[in-house]
Amino acid sequence: MLKIRIIPILTFNGFALVKTQRFSNPRMVGNPIQAARVFNSRNVDELVFTDITATYQNRKINLPFVKEVIDQCFMPVTIGGGIKNLDDINDLLKIGADKVLLKNSFIQQPSFVGEAAKIYGSQCITVAVDAYWNEERKAYLLHNKEGVVLDAAAFASMAEKEGAGEIILSSVDRDGMRNGFDINLVRQIMAAVKIPVVAVGGGGTPEHYLELFRDTDVKAAGGAAIYYFTQFTSYDIKKLLAENGFPARVIPNSTGDNFMKLG
Amino acid sequence: MSCVIINYGMGNLASVSKALKKTGISHEITSDPDQIAQASRIILPGVGSFQAAMENLKSKGLDVAIKKAVNEGEAYLLGICLGMQLLANKGYEPEECEGLGLINGEVRLIESDLPVPHMGWNNIAIRRDDFLKDIPYPDFYFVHSYHFVPDNAEHIAATVNYGKELVAVVQNNRVLGCQFHPEKSQSAGLKVLENFFSANHA
Repeated sequence: MLKIRIIPILTFNGFALVKTQRFSNPRMVGNPIQAARVFNSRNVDELVFTDITATYQNRKINLPFVKEVIDQCFMPVTIGGGIKNLDDINDLLKIGADKVLLKNSFIQQPSFVGEAAKIYGSQCITVAVDAYWNEERKAYLLHNKEGVVLDAAAFASMAEKEGAGEIILSSVDRDGMRNGFDINLVRQIMAAVKIPVVAVGGGGTPEHYLELFRDTDVKAAGGAAIYYFTQFTSYDIKKLLAENGFPARVIPNSTGDNFMKLG
Repeated sequence: MSCVIINYGMGNLASVSKALKKTGISHEITSDPDQIAQASRIILPGVGSFQAAMENLKSKGLDVAIKKAVNEGEAYLLGICLGMQLLANKGYEPEECEGLGLINGEVRLIESDLPVPHMGWNNIAIRRDDFLKDIPYPDFYFVHSYHFVPDNAEHIAATVNYGKELVAVVQNNRVLGCQFHPEKSQSAGLKVLENFFSANHA
């Protein structure tokens, strides 16, 4: 039986790992290479690594550095940040990335996702949907610095139509808050698309993850703050899910060492 | 013992090479038919379409080299994902196309009510453990839209359930094919690679 996926999301600022709250106030939380090694040893199901400043600083992602991160991983890895053209995608796949994460290049030119999917296959093209609740419009809107006002579900649906194979859905409101996933947001996006969705933002305890899987049809969840700022590991999350009848890949020896708490 | 990973423009060579390094196996990445024909362990990775892959292999004379190493020599061959499917007689992606014919069977599109591709971690049921001994946890990482249907059930070394039973591992003597990606399957996958390199059927 296919397993649900628990995925750490590593955000990088070009120098170090950072963890944001509501997409701002980045706080340094460590070294990505070391973190990737620990997450691998804890048997997380996949890893997402994204350079959250590359696009705005108008630079390419640092390939040799990303390769060092990927080299720690013996599970699928998704890489995002500053990807603008097919060459950028090719460069990342060549150093061992399994999927690439697109956002701004898709907002600016939606057909880019289709072009990329045609060449590399939908399974390796992931689109980031960063959404927040807008009280005025009573709707989830797309968070972006391009100034585009777009309904988040419409954006997700457009990504699917263009050929994206997966959506990484982040709640801006819950990012780094550890106050539970935005269940309504996840439900809305799940209703809009058929492709897999990774729900991210707000998971601060294993119970939050259980609530997410119980109350929505999502099959994958991402997180970061839970690994940096709490005592819980991916093992704790998966164990609780398995105890509640969800198919999780629970590997006991991945609790292991306590000198470094990550994953 | 010489080990080669075949470079024919269709696959994630970096990840396979990295996994071999992790298990301490020295190897070369090559597209030289002579080197392949003389190798004792050959890995055929692959991502993409069956037809394109066969065309690439043939244009470089690699299909002949692989068959020579296996049939005339004593080489062990491991096909991964598309590389596993190429072991069959025939594929249909996107059109009917002849394969390497090292394990009798066909490669067909997955027909399922579940989404295709079959993608993610799934557990396998082992039938023959020549290369599948001491697997710590039987979950492996899969990404595929087509599946191998062997003529002879004895060639099925493991299956995986995705709405229905699909073949996860095929084996014919020294020829092994994994539909999953051992290089992406953490300790379980590395164990399969170790088994492949320590096996001695000769």
